[in-house]
Amino acid sequence: MVPESQIGVSPVPYRITAMRPELESGEIVTWRLQPLESALPRFQPGQFNVIYPPGADEFPGLIGGDPESDEVMHTLRSIKPADASARVLQVGDVIGLRGPFGSPWPIQQARGKDLVLVAGGMGLTSLRSILCHAMRHRDYFRKVYLLYGTRDPMNILYRDDVIAWERRPHLHVQVTVDRGGAAWRGNVGVVTKLVDRAPFDPAEAIAFVCGPEIMMRFSVLALQKHGVSDERIYLLMERQMKCVIDSGDKRPPNLPEAGPIFRFDQVEHFFSVREP
Amino acid sequence: MNIAEELAGHPFCAAMTSEQQAKLANCARQQSFRKGEFLLLQNSQAEAFFLIVEGQVEIKVAQVSPGEAPLETLGAGEAVGWSWYLPPYRWHFDAVACQPTRVIAFDADCLRSLMAKDHDVGYAVTSRLLEVVAQRLQATRLQLSDVYGAA
Repeated sequence: MVPESQIGVSPVPYRITAMRPELESGEIVTWRLQPLESALPRFQPGQFNVIYPPGADEFPGLIGGDPESDEVMHTLRSIKPADASARVLQVGDVIGLRGPFGSPWPIQQARGKDLVLVAGGMGLTSLRSILCHAMRHRDYFRKVYLLYGTRDPMNILYRDDVIAWERRPHLHVQVTVDRGGAAWRGNVGVVTKLVDRAPFDPAEAIAFVCGPEIMMRFSVLALQKHGVSDERIYLLMERQMKCVIDSGDKRPPNLPEAGPIFRFDQVEHFFSVREP
Repeated sequence: MNIAEELAGHPFCAAMTSEQQAKLANCARQQSFRKGEFLLLQNSQAEAFFLIVEGQVEIKVAQVSPGEAPLETLGAGEAVGWSWYLPPYRWHFDAVACQPTRVIAFDADCLRSLMAKDHDVGYAVTSRLLEVVAQRLQATRLQLSDVYGAA
């Protein structure tokens, strides 16, 4: 384990042990990483690492793996600036990781309740680690609902995992796509419709929502309509996150001031701000 | 479960009085569709209105492309079709059961007559139907805006 005084200061070397394209297009890739020597502290679902590919700029990446494993998993979109380098990386290459950073999903608050996970597109990455946790500790929650929306059947992340989760009796998994092909036999429509249909108890539910802002806004409306109170709705505001290096703070560079996970009533105002 | 009980338990009728539900029940019957069976066919006369009790229905545009990819899927607790409400009373889309599906089916003529005679029932059905239409419009806008990009 990295000494406590060094946590978040220097990148820790990790070897890429597996690299899997999530989509046929190769636009999104999942890396599995093992520490060369000292491992970073165990992350909590919702946290992120700062990733240092050799010869390229660092960038933050949500952690999608099992929180109780030394292995670290990152699913990355190849359109980020550093990905020119990321694309040429191979299994066996070494990168640097710094972290874990950020506020985690408040899993403890969900103990004994219905846990409703609403994911849109790449938002499934952060919620995947909760599902890993829920499968290890199935008695922690009454029932776990994964409601996942994405663009089309070709863009379903972690396809094998989703199929495996659907078979778990304590997980209620529903996937919907905005555009279904002729061969698609699943749901077609926006993810908010899955919220309307899911049979969770709103008085005993806590909801974690992760995806594009507009998807989160409508998901919150659907959850509120279902009877889930604002203080039981949490959002991952990754795209609104700013680093403290910009604010002149003296803490280590890129350490976030707060977030990226917030209770809805703390960030409600963001949803009424018009984009410039 | 009889039809009055099913109507009472359906979200479409949740805000209606039991008296209004009883009047609606006079225009309704329980109906089942096998997988692959059509509830409504594009361009045909809109003679019914459906509330899904169980199962799943795909809404499709016929003759758009080979395979007729579904525009939307509807499930238990949802309503199918509003062309029965507006002249010329013809369906604009296909709706096909993609699972064995059980519905409450309203006779459109009976329902329109009831709504014309009893404005309270007419208002209750119209406002609920408008809510459904607004939700579908909102959902369609979101679907078209491609909020996810590639994943």
